[in-house]
Amino acid sequence: MNRATELTDDGLFRRIVAGDEEAFALLYRRKHPAIYRFVLHMTGNPAVAEDVTQEAFMTLICDARRFDAARGTLGGFLFGVARNHLRKRWEQDRHFVPLPELEEEIHSLVSGNGASRNGGNGNGSGRTHDQLASLETVGRVRQAIATLPSGYREVVVLCDLEGMSYEEAAAALDCPVGTVRSRLHRARALLIEKLRDSPVPARRAGCVGEPKAVGE
Amino acid sequence: MKMDEKEEVMILDCVRFEEVLPDLDRPGTPGAGLRESALAHAESCGRCARLLTESESLDFSLHSLAVRDAFREAPSRVEAALLKRFRLEKGLAARRRLQCQLSLLGAAAAMLLVVGLSFHQRRLALPSLHSSAPSAVPSPQQPVGAPDATYVADDDGAGAFIPLPYADDLDAEGGTIVRVILSRSALASLGMPDAALEASDQVPADLIVSQDGTPQAIRFVAQDELNQD
Repeated sequence: MNRATELTDDGLFRRIVAGDEEAFALLYRRKHPAIYRFVLHMTGNPAVAEDVTQEAFMTLICDARRFDAARGTLGGFLFGVARNHLRKRWEQDRHFVPLPELEEEIHSLVSGNGASRNGGNGNGSGRTHDQLASLETVGRVRQAIATLPSGYREVVVLCDLEGMSYEEAAAALDCPVGTVRSRLHRARALLIEKLRDSPVPARRAGCVGEPKAVGE
Repeated sequence: MKMDEKEEVMILDCVRFEEVLPDLDRPGTPGAGLRESALAHAESCGRCARLLTESESLDFSLHSLAVRDAFREAPSRVEAALLKRFRLEKGLAARRRLQCQLSLLGAAAAMLLVVGLSFHQRRLALPSLHSSAPSAVPSPQQPVGAPDATYVADDDGAGAFIPLPYADDLDAEGGTIVRVILSRSALASLGMPDAALEASDQVPADLIVSQDGTPQAIRFVAQDELNQD
């Protein structure tokens, strides 16, 4: 195993500042999926997610000294940078982008012949009822998240989808932990309200894993 | 009265239940420590039991979404573009460092040169004998006979006369030696530019001037010789 893979984020950061390309590549591969997904959930637009992810890491290349380890983690810093870029973009665009993937998913479900992005056999009729129900659940919750106010959406994405702690999310969003907690509680209440009208199959939280089987 | 008290306790518990509900499965939060109590409360309260079911259903939905999106990531072209930019930026930074080092080196060399030249000038420089006017002021000193064409060194140990580039009257008789103080521009006008001299520097010298008044040869006068005079 390469020694660089054993380094912490801060260790990689020091090597990046010193000009180590391998360290940068490693940090990018380690951190970018979460940032990409965060922006994707916030915008619903893969092209924007791609751009913002690139801009966040460009900051690391061109202006690495903006990161202060005393103020938070490198991951939190990158999320913060991505969030700022996203807000700038929203200010420029002044409109919400569509959710092509969601539309594609719904269309796929309705027509019964679309292939899942996770792979799939391209034949909707070959899916089990549970698989379809799971896909429907995912589509509905994705849509519900997309309609949340952005302040609520980002805490749901960070805490419930990316598994961040309140403290990590607070560092990424540059706000107090209490704010994250209260926003998340309110966001979940809103999501429950939105999903109540079109109930998802009720399961215990421990029964997850089936969505992974979709498309396998 | 007892009924009211009981209801109040029940409401209080429900409020607390709702507070901790989103954190029941979140390690490290106060809600996680109250999980058993919350579940026990939900068993005795239909409303909270419904909230619990809805919350767990939401957790399942969110987890399904997270699992489904777990492998989503930016296209590889983003990484390629970033690595290209990284190489470019680091290359520029290295070049900037090199330029900075070269600049420092150049500055140090220039400083050494200046120090060396000023030291050299100090050795050559003589105090101004006459006025501080920048132009050369000839001062007749001593008429002598025609100097020998070879212009050998004088007896006083001063340097030999150097023929000026345009001298055409070396064999003429009746030349005169005059001591002058020459500026760099005056030296240049005699056909002897000296880049080492500052524009304001002045050099004492002896000139052999022919009968028609044209300088024919020059001899620089050293400081100690001047003092003796």
